[in-house]
Amino acid sequence: MLRVPEHEAAELASAILDVKQKIRFCSICLNITESDPCSFCRDESRDAGLICVVEQPLDIIALDRAAAFKGRYHVLHGCLNPLEGLGPDQIHVRELLTRVKEGQVREVIMATNPSLEGEATAMYVQRLLSPLGVRVTRLARGLPSGADLEYIDDVTLARALEGRQDL
Amino acid sequence: MDRDRLYRADAIVLRRRNIGDADSIFTLFAADRGRFDAVARGVRKARSKMRGHLEPLTRVRVLVAKGRSLDILTQAETLEAYRPLRDDLDLGAEALYCAELVDRFTVEANGQHDVFDSFTRVLDALATGAPRHVVRSFELALMALSGFDLQLGACAHCGGSLPGESILLSAPAGGFVCMGCRGQSGGGRLVSRRCAAVLRFARDAPIETFGQVQVDEALARELRAALADVIHHVLDREPSSAQFIDDVRRAPAQLSP
Repeated sequence: MLRVPEHEAAELASAILDVKQKIRFCSICLNITESDPCSFCRDESRDAGLICVVEQPLDIIALDRAAAFKGRYHVLHGCLNPLEGLGPDQIHVRELLTRVKEGQVREVIMATNPSLEGEATAMYVQRLLSPLGVRVTRLARGLPSGADLEYIDDVTLARALEGRQDL
Repeated sequence: MDRDRLYRADAIVLRRRNIGDADSIFTLFAADRGRFDAVARGVRKARSKMRGHLEPLTRVRVLVAKGRSLDILTQAETLEAYRPLRDDLDLGAEALYCAELVDRFTVEANGQHDVFDSFTRVLDALATGAPRHVVRSFELALMALSGFDLQLGACAHCGGSLPGESILLSAPAGGFVCMGCRGQSGGGRLVSRRCAAVLRFARDAPIETFGQVQVDEALARELRAALADVIHHVLDREPSSAQFIDDVRRAPAQLSP
């Protein structure tokens, strides 16, 4: 920092201040945004009856890059991880429940990571939402593109076989 | 790589902490090494060959390189994935609770074959449909192997005989306490005669045998609460995954206004 020109240091300081002052959580989906509601929640062309639930805001960027989903999002900001002390009260499940209870939602797609914690979170949300009669689905789990079959773990292989499709 | 710097271990993955963009530190528990931490570089990338093998509650064979501050996982191969524990939220919560107990009761770099044996047996039992109260048997075994064996046959204070009904289980005293010693026991929980008998059986019988005992819901709750007090006292805190078991059980009602 001592060697960079003063104006560059000032720009960096200003950028850090901007993050603190302008970035906030969307009041609907809890994505990080400069304007509330965020661009995804404001976009009328997106299907408000479909909610894709992700662990982190960066997951939205990855999903949106795939351009295969035209619904809305919900960010949990974590996943259930009891060994690290993360229970339902530490992630934003309550806000998701409120959105679903408002009645417009037809389907909740659980796009949490395919890890033990992500699976537990998906099952927990499914259990939570089942009394409301909303359809809860899970992203398919299987082999990543370009993978070597011999290195795939047993659980992934078993799920890939279960989820096989006609060619 | 220098072969002296490598070691192989059959271990169970207890927990994972993510660091940096793509690395994770894993806590593993092996029969001959006890609990140890090792980092897996790039394991969070989709192309990682180790990724699926290092999920918590997986029994794995790992090849580890000794590092200066932290050992490095170089290979991992699943020995037992315990898939039923991943597909059932309640079973998974119980298994994670067992993993947390192992994490908290054991020490690093110290072979603990008996603890490893008990841990694999309770995971096997849960994964093959044994009732969830087998976890009580594991708690008692783990405490005994860690030097906290409960005195359940006679008064932990004076060695005298115990009352027939409403027996005090005192964590500070280390077991059941007779009527005369209650004042000096440091407090505890009164348990029914049935609960006391089942606790004795759970401590003495193999986990698989205890799994065949019929335990109704009320007795299961009583057993769990009794041992939760003792574990809280020994660890000086409640295991965080114990609350999670309740959270998932109450899920539909939990967040209603």
